[in-house]
Amino acid sequence: MRASCPLGDTGEVLIFSAWSLTMFYMAVGSVYRLSLLGVFTAPLVCFLLSLALMPGLLDASPERKTVVDGWRESHAAFSVLAYGALGLAAVAGVMFIVLNRQLKDALMSTGLFANLPPARDLSKVVERLLLLGFALLTLGLVCGLVMEKTGAANKHLYVALGQWAAYAVLLILKWWRGMPPGKLAMAAVLLFVLSLMIFPLIN
Amino acid sequence: MGLNHETAPVEVREHFAVSEDQLGSQARKLTELTTIAEGVVISTCNRMEVYVAAEDRQMGLDVLRQHLSEGHDDEDMSHLYQKCGDDAKQHLFALVCGLDSMVLGETEIFGQVKHAYKQAFEAGATKGVLNRLFQKSFAVGKRIRTHTRIQMGATSVGNVAVDLAEKIFGKLNGSHVMIIGAGETSRLVAKSMISRGASQLTVTNRSIERARSLAEELNGEVVPFDSWEEALVKADVIVSSTGASEPVLHASQIEAVRRKRKFRPLFLIDIAVPRDIEAQAGDIEEVYLYDIDKLQQLASLAKESRAKQVTLCEQMIAEEISQTS
Repeated sequence: MRASCPLGDTGEVLIFSAWSLTMFYMAVGSVYRLSLLGVFTAPLVCFLLSLALMPGLLDASPERKTVVDGWRESHAAFSVLAYGALGLAAVAGVMFIVLNRQLKDALMSTGLFANLPPARDLSKVVERLLLLGFALLTLGLVCGLVMEKTGAANKHLYVALGQWAAYAVLLILKWWRGMPPGKLAMAAVLLFVLSLMIFPLIN
Repeated sequence: MGLNHETAPVEVREHFAVSEDQLGSQARKLTELTTIAEGVVISTCNRMEVYVAAEDRQMGLDVLRQHLSEGHDDEDMSHLYQKCGDDAKQHLFALVCGLDSMVLGETEIFGQVKHAYKQAFEAGATKGVLNRLFQKSFAVGKRIRTHTRIQMGATSVGNVAVDLAEKIFGKLNGSHVMIIGAGETSRLVAKSMISRGASQLTVTNRSIERARSLAEELNGEVVPFDSWEEALVKADVIVSSTGASEPVLHASQIEAVRRKRKFRPLFLIDIAVPRDIEAQAGDIEEVYLYDIDKLQQLASLAKESRAKQVTLCEQMIAEEISQTS
C-alpha cells in the first residue's frame, strides 16, 4: 500500500503493531528503568513479526491508493498505536503477575526475582499504559465513527465499541473504587488477549 | 600483621583499634621505622591490620612487632597473625571481597579498606609497592563482586524485610511503617526502613511508655493499643512483635479496610512467636505476609548461597595472584 498508512493488509497491521509495541517499550522502559520489560516484550514482537511473514499475509507490492480517507487512515493508525500501548500494559501485567506470585511464595533467590522491578512500579506502569492505550483507542474510535462506512466496517466498529467499553469499565472501576494490583494486571492481560483473538476473526 | 574477630575477642581488638582520623598519621609513623618503606593501617570494628613494604622481610617483621607491642602485653600480642608475600596479597584480596568478614560477602569492608588506603596515600605513607597492591585489590574486589554471587541476598532478618519492602514498594520514600509491639527486633527493622527512606512511623504497644520511648527515638507518633486499627488504613508496612498468645491482627480487620485503602499493597512482617498475624491475612490479594520462619529461611538461603561462592572467589583470587607474581 502506498500513499497511505501501511495498514492495508494483515501483515502490515502485524508489523505496525510490533513497531508500536517497540516504540512504547523504548519510551516506558527507559523512563521507569524497566530493562527487563524488553525481555518480556521481545517474544511478543518476535511473534507478531513472524506471523506477518506467513505466506499470504503480506502483499509484497501493494497498489498505490488514489483516494485516501484521512479519517480512515487516522482510525487505523490510532487503533494500532493503542494496541501497542495496551499490549505493553499486558506485558507489564504478566511481569507483575510473575513477581506477585514470587513475593507471595517467598521465592527470593531466583535470578528473575532479583531483576524484576518493584511491584508498585510495575502496577503503575500497567495503569498508565492502560490510560494511554485507552486515550489512543478513543481517538481511533472517534475517527472510526466519522469515516465513511461499509457493511463490514459497521461490524468492526461494534466490536471496537465493545472493546473500548471494556477498557473504560476497567479504568473507571480502578479510579472509582480501587482494585487490587493483581486483578488490574490480570484484566490488562485478558482484555488484550481477547482483543487479539476477536479482531482477526471479524476482519 | 593484624588481628580480627576470629583471632581476638573484642576486649583485645579495642586495645589495638585506631580511630578513623588517625589512620593516615599511624601509617606515616610506620614508614619512620627502620627498613619499612611504606605502610597502610586498616581499623574497623572487627579488625586492625597493618600492611607494610619492607626492604628486609625478617627485620621488617621484627620491627613491626616491636612497634605494635608498645602499650600491649604478651597476651594481647599472642592474638596477632602475620602474613608475607603472596599470603599477604591473598589475605588482602580476600578481605576486600568480604571473604574474611563476619558477615560473609558484606560490602562495607571494600569502602573501609579504600578509606584506609586513601588516608595512608594522602599522608605520604604509600609508594610503588603498596599503591600497586591496593589498586589491584580494588580491581579484584570489583571483578569478584561482578562475576560471582558473593554479595547476593540479605543475610539478616532485618535486611531481608527491608529488601522485600523495596521489592514491593520500590523506594520507601513516603512509606508509612507501623510497629505493633515495641520490641528490639521491631526497633531494628523500623530503623532499617527509616534509613531507606520510610518517612512516617506509628508505634503502638500495650505499655504506652515503651511505645512513646520508641516513637521519640525514631521520630514517629504513638497510637494507643486499643485504637491502632484506625491506623491500618494509612500503613504500608506493619511490623508486629508483641508477646500476645493470640493473633492481634486478623484477616477480617484487613478485609474491613481494603476499600478505604484503595487496595494498596500491604506488607506484614510478623516476628512474634506465637504469631501475631492470622495466617489467612496472607491470602488477601494485595497483602504480603512474612513470618519469622520465612524471613529466617530467606536469610539462611542467602548465607548458604554466599558460602557456595567462596571456592569460586578463592580460585579467582589465586588466578589474580599468579598473574601478579
